[in-house]
Amino acid sequence: MPISRGYVAKRLMLSALVILGVLAIAFIMTRIIPARPEFLWAGPHATEEQLKMAREKLRLDRPIYIQLCYYLIDFFRGDWGISWRTRLPVLNDLLTALPATLELVIAAFLLASIVGIPLGIYSALNYGGLRDQVIKFVTVLGASTPVFWIALVLQTALGVWAGILPAGKRVDDYLVYVTGFKPITGFYIIDSLIQGNIPVFLDVLKRLLLPAFVLSIYPLSLSARMSRSLMIEVLNENFIRSLEVWGVPQREILFKYALRNAIAPVIASLGLSFGYTLVGAFMVELIFVWPGLGYYAGMALLSYDYPAVIGVVVLVAIFYSAINLVVDLVHAWLDPRVRL
Amino acid sequence: MIAMFKQYLNAMRRNPMGLIGLIIVSSFVVMGLLAPYILTRPEDAWGLTYDVGKRFKPPSLEHLFGTDECGRDVFNRVLLGTRFSLMVGVGVVALSLAIGIPIGLAAGYVGGKLGTALMRVTDMFLAFPPLLLAIALAATFGRGLFNTMLALSLSWWPWYSRLIYIQASSVKSMPFVDAAKVVGLSELRIMFRHVLPNVLTPVITQATLDIGSAILEASALSFLGIGVPPPIPEWGLLVSSGWQTVSRAWWISFFPGLFIVVTVLGFNLLGDVVKELMDPRLRNLMAMRRMRL
Repeated sequence: MPISRGYVAKRLMLSALVILGVLAIAFIMTRIIPARPEFLWAGPHATEEQLKMAREKLRLDRPIYIQLCYYLIDFFRGDWGISWRTRLPVLNDLLTALPATLELVIAAFLLASIVGIPLGIYSALNYGGLRDQVIKFVTVLGASTPVFWIALVLQTALGVWAGILPAGKRVDDYLVYVTGFKPITGFYIIDSLIQGNIPVFLDVLKRLLLPAFVLSIYPLSLSARMSRSLMIEVLNENFIRSLEVWGVPQREILFKYALRNAIAPVIASLGLSFGYTLVGAFMVELIFVWPGLGYYAGMALLSYDYPAVIGVVVLVAIFYSAINLVVDLVHAWLDPRVRL
Repeated sequence: MIAMFKQYLNAMRRNPMGLIGLIIVSSFVVMGLLAPYILTRPEDAWGLTYDVGKRFKPPSLEHLFGTDECGRDVFNRVLLGTRFSLMVGVGVVALSLAIGIPIGLAAGYVGGKLGTALMRVTDMFLAFPPLLLAIALAATFGRGLFNTMLALSLSWWPWYSRLIYIQASSVKSMPFVDAAKVVGLSELRIMFRHVLPNVLTPVITQATLDIGSAILEASALSFLGIGVPPPIPEWGLLVSSGWQTVSRAWWISFFPGLFIVVTVLGFNLLGDVVKELMDPRLRNLMAMRRMRL
């Protein structure tokens, strides 16, 4: 594995720097934008006394960088502030919402790679043919569709009109009440299986299907297009020709040699589309009333709940940096030509 | 120039999908330019009217795409929206190029500590969710067409500066740069007159490809209510205006969204052809033997 320990350490430091930078920008923006942050903090009917307390609590009389330092100290202690909307610690809120989003995003990415990569390879093997053209067109179409629109269309058509799939929420409240289902990890699929609660499991699965599919459309198209063009490129390389000349069976060439070379960049690009998908998840969550990070962020924005906004932004930045690092490491591990 | 144009035409002939893309894009551009002159109900399109009696009328010959919650003709609104969506798409890419090219060029050509510092700043912007920038700008300066473009560009330019950076850092060690130095040209002149033209092609290719995505993201911001403000008939905003009533008046959200899909599809199909032309490796592949595996 051509990855040096020094490289990983360097990357981790850089990620920390980037996250700190994002935090600082977000903090400064949310302190500068509102004309009088203490009004938001204390509420609309606050007395002069309460406003004064709020000012002291936010340290608004100190320069902005001092405020930032205090915020950072609290931040590393695990105190990410109190949400102005829910009146609960932001970190708690985020950790409750995180599994819902992750369940959705992971399902979407699984769908994208399980369907997208074989689709792209199939397309490459039929290069120039009718099937290739059709697949190419469909994947370009998929990459051109706004996620909020297709979510609305499918939700209305399949959920509301046809009634085939439930149109929103993670699980039926009545079913939860009747069967006594309790969230443990927050991943409802896992939770219901642990408890052997089959009715809830089926309900959760059914409700996950539509939002996950909608969210997967973009990464699915991306992975199909990437794996198609990479497969074509690899199959044209000289080592494949020499393998053919040596009489290696075509199936073996395809799955043992070509695929390994084509798959690494596909995984890299899928990983890099994670940030985009996360923003997509925000909209899908709003439309499907899915109580994840996006729903939380949306509500926080509507109520100018700045501690919650900063929390979401920093969490997203952490995830983004982590994914980037993992993608690069996996890339190096799969492709021996990459040296880090 | 003419030779290049011919090359494009040839590529189009070989690639019917690119031709479809070209037709879509050019007809939308014409539609966007001519929209104010072909509107049948301009007051509806600009969102100046309110007619209780005509609310939520389904599509008919009189109202091709039906009417919305204020009794306005959806077809006219969508038609006028074309120019705003195109404007935002082109604007975002142009602004991003204007920020990204100088920074990437400076980082790549000068290199060293300055280069590293510039690229770290770039990474920071890359990790910053465009959503928050859009909210911040909307909250400080109000929602508007230009603020939407600015918010998207601020999270978009890092891609271009990265691309330029990689190219410029390899071009700077080429003999012609040394020659220019020997002749005694100033660093700035070398950077912009000699290095820049040699690193521009991939960025321009990427930029054409990106117009579609920019339209897509701008419409997402408008859908969330932090992009273009009403009553401007931007497509994402139109979709969002029908969101709450979608189960009984689907046409308000459906048609504007369909227009987004077709436009972005056009740009993406066209972009694919441009990419194949610009990337010599792919160009060779186009004449490739049919796969026998």
